[in-house]
Amino acid sequence: MTTIRLKRLITKKAVQQLLNELISAIDTPISIQDVTGKWLIGKKLTNPENRYPVQLNDEVIGWVVGEQKAVSVASLLSYLANQELGKKELAKETLEKYKEINLLYKISEKISANLKLNEIAKLIIEEAHKILEANSCSVMLLDEETKELSIISYLERKTPKLFLKLGEGIAGFVALSGKAEIINDVLSDPRYVPGPNPVSSMICVPIKIKSRILGVINVSNKKPVQYTAADLKLLNTLASQAGVAIENAILHQNKLKEERIKSNLERYLSAQVVEAILELEGNSCLIPVKSNVSILFSDIRNFTTKCEELAPETIVGYLNEYFTHMVDVIFNHQGTVNKFVGDMILALFGAPYKMLDAETKAISTAIEMQRRLQMIPVSWIKDNFQTGIGISSGKVVVGNIGSPRHMDYTAIGDEVNIASRLQSIAQGGQILVSRSVYEATKELFDFKEFGLVNVKGKKNPVEVFEVLY
Amino acid sequence: MSKKILIVDDEHYIRMLLEETLEELEDEGVELLISSNGDEALEIIKEEKPELVFLDIMMPKMNGFDVCHIVKNELKFNDIYIIMLTAKGQEFDKQKGQEVGADMYMTKPFDPDDVVEKALEILGLD
Repeated sequence: MTTIRLKRLITKKAVQQLLNELISAIDTPISIQDVTGKWLIGKKLTNPENRYPVQLNDEVIGWVVGEQKAVSVASLLSYLANQELGKKELAKETLEKYKEINLLYKISEKISANLKLNEIAKLIIEEAHKILEANSCSVMLLDEETKELSIISYLERKTPKLFLKLGEGIAGFVALSGKAEIINDVLSDPRYVPGPNPVSSMICVPIKIKSRILGVINVSNKKPVQYTAADLKLLNTLASQAGVAIENAILHQNKLKEERIKSNLERYLSAQVVEAILELEGNSCLIPVKSNVSILFSDIRNFTTKCEELAPETIVGYLNEYFTHMVDVIFNHQGTVNKFVGDMILALFGAPYKMLDAETKAISTAIEMQRRLQMIPVSWIKDNFQTGIGISSGKVVVGNIGSPRHMDYTAIGDEVNIASRLQSIAQGGQILVSRSVYEATKELFDFKEFGLVNVKGKKNPVEVFEVLY
Repeated sequence: MSKKILIVDDEHYIRMLLEETLEELEDEGVELLISSNGDEALEIIKEEKPELVFLDIMMPKMNGFDVCHIVKNELKFNDIYIIMLTAKGQEFDKQKGQEVGADMYMTKPFDPDDVVEKALEILGLD
């Protein structure tokens, strides 16, 4: 309870002045003592005869001692004490507001520095719980695609209902309308969807950025509570800070996703090419599209037979050495290493990075692959690895293909089958290409007609050319 | 000798609020001194040598920076801890604060709990 100390009151300048004036006016000696009997002003009297109480409402906070006239000093002090009390109570109330304001400033600092959605949600709940009379709180986020609200953090006795459709229940309604609501009698609200935790009163506020709804904050009590407009205002302030923090966290997540795509791409492409692609097209470069590409297949002849002579770890060692050299050659020509299947390599030219001379790059790569193979400083590889290479070109579908849990950047189409077929008939050291590749590069390389070859799924046989190098 | 805190602000209600906030320190024997302008504050500082001063920056005539400069650089009362008070949203000139030798600055509306905690720490009462 707020109280006034007499000692403190009479040392105030304004009070002192009034007191002095009055004392000189009544022209009689007085002494003042506080409620404990301690002398504050005037002579210490051992046996005061007349003393008049200084009262704060009904409470005595001290005494004025003196003749009859001293009673006026006591009434003046009583009056001033009561006035001071009013001021103090007002000051106390203002200080309470200061506390709240500072609390909110502190939260905003804490949550805006945080980039983790779950942690932000936890902080929101902690603070909401501190400032409002609540026994359960939750933060729900809206998925813009599925139009579903899901709880990302909660403080409740039992696990609450984790999902709500937009428009479903009170939270769903608030997320749809974008308007905060106080519902002090939840049970009689027709929108209420009962969950495992009893609720009597609640406040639900939307978390928004401008007019876009990101989610809602639910604060409730199982006992009937009269939530006020002031409570709503506080929670709204909290929600507006939460909005900025959540938006930042989502942007950060997207950035991380892009980083993941980048590191994924770097498995297929040289780092410079990845940078160039991301700058040009962002994440969309992985969406399957039909585009003009050259497809190169390379395979080691009689690999399985050769492997039988060696211990498995030795084979893996040789294969890794071989792949390292081949990938290096492909990357040097801006090719995309699509995949390794056993000892086979599939490389693409013109996807995801568009190039006008894809066929030329593919042939240059093939020739350098053949030459590099002879320069690998492991004699067993030089003696035993001989590769056949097939190249074709045309429109195929390229992009991330697979299930959401396992995606692969790959190419699908007739030309892929043709290149694969050419590789399968190529002898060690041979490079075979389809007519489209030949047409695009005949001025730049020497060729020899190889003849017609049947390809599975193709009615007419395809014309094949051998690159002379 | 009792420890002293001086509150200097031209706004009546800020003085009242700081006084109200710090009043609980009187139980620890701390004396609160109040002033509403820079000239008077300097007189009190010379006479009473408070350990801690809450000093508003924006005051008519002599502002908080001037008072701080005189206390720290002319009077060389370096043991007096000076907390400058600035309004929220009003950029505190940190360089100026450093030049005049202010020890700390605090924004209004202040957090009452922080004020008490800081005062106790500076007076060595925590």
